[in-house]
Amino acid sequence: MSERVTLSRVAIHATLIILAAFFLVPLGVVALNSVRGGEEIARAGVIGLPHELRWSNFSRTWSSYCIAQHCDGIQPYFWNSVRMVIPATIISTLLGALNGYSLSLWRFRGDTVVFGIMTLGVFLPEQMRLVPWVIVLRDLGLFNTISGLVLIHTVQGISFTTLFCRNYYVSIPPDLLKAARIDGAGFFRIFWRIVLPLSPPILIVTVIWQFTGIWNEYLYGVTFSAGEQQPVTAALIALSARVSEAPQYGEQSAAVLLAAAPTLLVYLLGGRYFLRGLTAGAVK
Amino acid sequence: MSVVSRRSLLAASAATLATPGLTRAQSVKPKVTVISQWSAGSDGLAITTLGKRFEAEGGVWEHNPVPGFTTDMMNKLRAQIIAGDPPAASQLKGPEIAAWSKIGAVVDLDQQVSEAGYEAVVPAELVRLSKPYGHWIALPIQAYRINTLFISKKAADRVGVTSLPATWAEFNAIAEKMKAAGITPVANGGLKWDDGMKWEIALCGINPDAYRKAVMELDDKTLKGADVLAAFRQLRKLADWSDPGAAGQHYSTFMARYMKGDMGMLLMGGWAQGVFKNAGFRFTDYLIGPAPQDDGKIAFDLNSDEFIFWQKPQPEYLAGQKLLAKIVMAKDFGPMYSQITGSLPVRTDTDLTPDGFSDGQREAAKAMAEAVRNNRVVLSLAHNMAQPNQITAAMIDVLTEFVHDNRISPEDGQKRLAAAVDNVRS
Amino acid sequence: MNWRARWGRILPHLVIWPPIVVSCGYVLLFSAWTVWVSFTRSTLLPEYSWAGWRNYSTMLATRNWQIAYTNLFIYGTCFLVFTMAMGLLLAVLIDQRIRAENIYRAIFLYPLAVSFVVTGTVWGWLLNPTFGIQKLMHDAGWASFRFEWLIDRDMAIYTIVIAGVWQASGFAMALLLAGLRSVDGDLMKAAQIDGAGPVRTYLRVVFPTIGPIFIAVLVMLLQFAIKTYDLVVALTQEGPGLASTLPTVVVYDFMFQRGELGEGSAAAVMLLGSLAFVLVPYGLYRHWQRRKAEAHV
Repeated sequence: MSERVTLSRVAIHATLIILAAFFLVPLGVVALNSVRGGEEIARAGVIGLPHELRWSNFSRTWSSYCIAQHCDGIQPYFWNSVRMVIPATIISTLLGALNGYSLSLWRFRGDTVVFGIMTLGVFLPEQMRLVPWVIVLRDLGLFNTISGLVLIHTVQGISFTTLFCRNYYVSIPPDLLKAARIDGAGFFRIFWRIVLPLSPPILIVTVIWQFTGIWNEYLYGVTFSAGEQQPVTAALIALSARVSEAPQYGEQSAAVLLAAAPTLLVYLLGGRYFLRGLTAGAVK
Repeated sequence: MSVVSRRSLLAASAATLATPGLTRAQSVKPKVTVISQWSAGSDGLAITTLGKRFEAEGGVWEHNPVPGFTTDMMNKLRAQIIAGDPPAASQLKGPEIAAWSKIGAVVDLDQQVSEAGYEAVVPAELVRLSKPYGHWIALPIQAYRINTLFISKKAADRVGVTSLPATWAEFNAIAEKMKAAGITPVANGGLKWDDGMKWEIALCGINPDAYRKAVMELDDKTLKGADVLAAFRQLRKLADWSDPGAAGQHYSTFMARYMKGDMGMLLMGGWAQGVFKNAGFRFTDYLIGPAPQDDGKIAFDLNSDEFIFWQKPQPEYLAGQKLLAKIVMAKDFGPMYSQITGSLPVRTDTDLTPDGFSDGQREAAKAMAEAVRNNRVVLSLAHNMAQPNQITAAMIDVLTEFVHDNRISPEDGQKRLAAAVDNVRS
Repeated sequence: MNWRARWGRILPHLVIWPPIVVSCGYVLLFSAWTVWVSFTRSTLLPEYSWAGWRNYSTMLATRNWQIAYTNLFIYGTCFLVFTMAMGLLLAVLIDQRIRAENIYRAIFLYPLAVSFVVTGTVWGWLLNPTFGIQKLMHDAGWASFRFEWLIDRDMAIYTIVIAGVWQASGFAMALLLAGLRSVDGDLMKAAQIDGAGPVRTYLRVVFPTIGPIFIAVLVMLLQFAIKTYDLVVALTQEGPGLASTLPTVVVYDFMFQRGELGEGSAAAVMLLGSLAFVLVPYGLYRHWQRRKAEAHV
C-alpha cells in the first residue's frame, strides 16, 4: 500500500474550505435569487438574502412564463434541447470512438496530419462558422430544423470526441491487437471485442463533455431554429434584460437553475467516472 | 451570391401589386411570417396583440421572435435570406432598412400607402427612412423620444427643485446642488448605447442643427466645430456625475436608488416610464419632461421601429402583407400598440386622450407634433436611426471610451470622433 | 480472393473514411471560406468581389482590434497560468486522501456544467463595486475594502480571468488529479526512503511523470481562452469603454453587428493565425518526441 505524502491536515482542510467557498458563492447567489421576488431584487439589489421565499418563481418559469405568444414557460424549450442534445451526443461520441480507433490503432499514411486537422477544429471560434453553416444547411435543406442543429453539433463535436478517444486508445497495448490480428480478427471484430469494452471511461468523458457543451450552446441554437423549436438557452435569454425592460432577476435565476439542472446532474453523478476516464487516457 | 438589382425587383413587385392577379390573391387566406426580437415583456405582449388582431381579420399569423440582442435577430434574418426563405415581414429600423433592402427583394407599398393617405400623417424623417430609394418599403410601428429627462422626486425635494431645467446651464446647476447634498446627480448606466445617448442628448440640446449636420450628415466642419466640442464638455460633466460603478451596467440597476433619492436625474428614452411602472414605481415618484434645450424651443430626438416587407412569391403572403400594412397604417393601430409598450403612435393625428395613455406619452407626443411642424426632429445616433450600423458603432466606440476614460480631454474626444467618422466614411 | 474477404477489406474503409472526411473537410472548408471572405468586400452578405488587404489594414487600425489583441495575450497567459495553478493546487489537495473527497470534487467540477453566459452574469454581479462583494464587505464593517477592478480600465480584463479560472479550474483539476493518481507508487516509496520531504517528492517524482498531462490541459485551456466570448459579453460588455474586449467579440461585432463580414473574417483569420505561435512549436515538439521514441525502438 503506497503511502501518500501528508501535509498538515489542518492546513489542507482550511484551504479546501476557503476554495470551496470561492467556488460555491456564484451558485449560492443564483440559488438565493431564484427564491426572491423580482421587485424585491429591483429594490434591494442582486446580491442579498430573500425576505420571503418565492418558490413560485420556479413553477412560473417552468410552465407559465410568457415567451413570445406562448405562455408555457421554458418547459417546451427544455425538451427541444433534450431532443437535440441526446442524438448529437450519442452520434458524435460513437464517431469519435471510431475515428480515435482508426487513427490510433490502424495507422495509415498521413494519419497524423488528419488528426492534426481534426484537432484544429476545436480552436475555430463559432462566430466565423455561422455563415458557412447557413449555406451548408440551406443546401442540405435542413435549415430551421432540429436535425440541422443535430448535424452541426455532431460534426463540430467530432473534433473533440476524436481528440479524447484517440489519446485514450493509444495507450492500449499493441500486443493485444497483434494477438487478435494473428487470430484472424478484422477491423470491426477488434473494435467490438477489444476496444469498445475498454472504452467506457473515455466514452463517459466524451458524453459528459458533449452533453454540457451542446446543452449550453446559444448562438447556433438561436440562429438555426425558429419559434417553439428553440433550445432552452434561447428561452433563458428571452427572460433577460432588454433596452426597454428591466430584468426579471428572480425568474431569470430560477430559469437558470432549471436549465442548468441536467448538466449539473451529469457532472454530479458522472464526476467520478469523469475522473476515472481521464486517468487512463490522459497519460499520453 | 449575386447582389440583387434593387430597381428591377421593385419594378417587378410594383407590377405584381398592380395586376389583376391580386384579386386571385384576395381569395387566399392571408398569411404572414414575422421575425422580431420582441419575445417577452411589453414588446412581446404588444406584438402578440397585433397578431391576434391580424387573426381576427382572417389572417394566419406566425411570429418568430429571436431572443437576445438586435444583432441576433438580424443574424436570423440574414440566415433566412441566405437560405432563400425571408419572412414576410421583419423588424428593422433606421438606415438599416436601406442597407438590407439592397440584399433582399422587398415589396413596394406605394400604392397602398397613397390610398390610405398615410404619408401625410407620418413625420418626415420616418417617411425618409421608409422610402430610402423613393418607394415605400417599410412601415413605422412606434416612436420614442430619446431626449427625455426624469428627475427623482425625492432627490428633487432634497435640493428644492420643483420643475425641470430648461437649459444645460440650469441642469448643471441642479447637478452641482445634488452633488453637494450627497446625491449622485446622474442615474444613467454605463452601457455603450447609454454613453452614446448621453452625448447625443447633450448635442441635441445645445444645437439641433449642429446635431443634424454632424450626426446625420457627417459634415466634417461641424464635427470639428464648437457645438460638438461643447457636447463633449457636457458629456464629460455627465460622466463625472454618474455613479463610478456605472460602467457596464444597465440603467435599471440603479432604479431603486434613484427612486429613493440617492440618485437624481436620468436622461433616457420615453420607454423608461414603462420600466419604472413594471418595477412598481408610481408616476408621482418622478418628474418627467424634455431634456434641456439651450435655445428654448422644442427639439425631438427620434427613435422608432418599423416593419420591412420582404418579397415572397406565394399569393397568401402577398395578401398577408397587404392586410398587415392595412392594420399598421390604420388610425387605431397606434393606440392599440403604444398603450402596451408606452411608445408614441406614429401618426401625428392620433388622439392620445384615452386613459390607456400616460401623461408622459401625451406630453412627448405633443412635443413630437410640434417638432415635426418646425422641422426640429433629429434621428437618434445611439439607437441606430441616424447612421448605418458600422458608422454608428465606430462613433459609439469613441464616445464610450471617452466616458470611461477621463484622461481623454473633450478636445481629444472630438478629434477622435472626427477621425473615426473619416475612417468609416466610404 | 473470395467475395466475403473482399467485402471484409472494403467495409472498414466505407465506415471510417466518411466521418474522417466530413470532419476534416468541415475544418478545412470553413477555414478556407473565412480566409476567402476576408479578401472580399463582403458587408451584410458574402460577396465575391476582391478587396485585397483592405480588410486587414482596416481591422489593424481600429482600436477595437488593438485592444482586443493585447488583451488576448494578457488574458490568455493569465488564464492559462492561474487555471493550471489552481487546478494543480486542487488536485494536490484532493489527492491527500481526505474523507469528503467526493463532495469537494463535485464542488470544484460543477462550474464546468454552467454556461458561460450565466458565469459572466453572476460574476458581473459579484465583482460590481456598488452592489457586489465590495458593498458586502463595507456592510460587514470592513469599510476600506476595495475591489474596483470591474470599472478600472487597466484591471477589467482581469475580472474575466477570475471568472474564467473559476469556470475551468475543475477541468484542470480533473486531468491533473487523474495524472497524480497514476503516478507509480513504488517511485514514491523509493523517494521517501531516500529521505525526500513532501515538497521534493512532488517536484522530483510526481510532476515530471505528469508532464504530458500538462500539455493536454494546456491545449484544452488554450481553446477555452481563444473562444472566450460569452464571458466578456455577460461580465463586462467589453467595458469600461472597450477596455476588456477580446478578439472573438470583435469578430462577432464586426461581422454581424456592423454588417462587415469581410472585416470580421479578417479579424478571425488574424486570431487563428496567432494560434500558430503556439501550435507550431507544439507540433514540432510532438514531432521531435515521436522521432525520439522511434529512435529508441
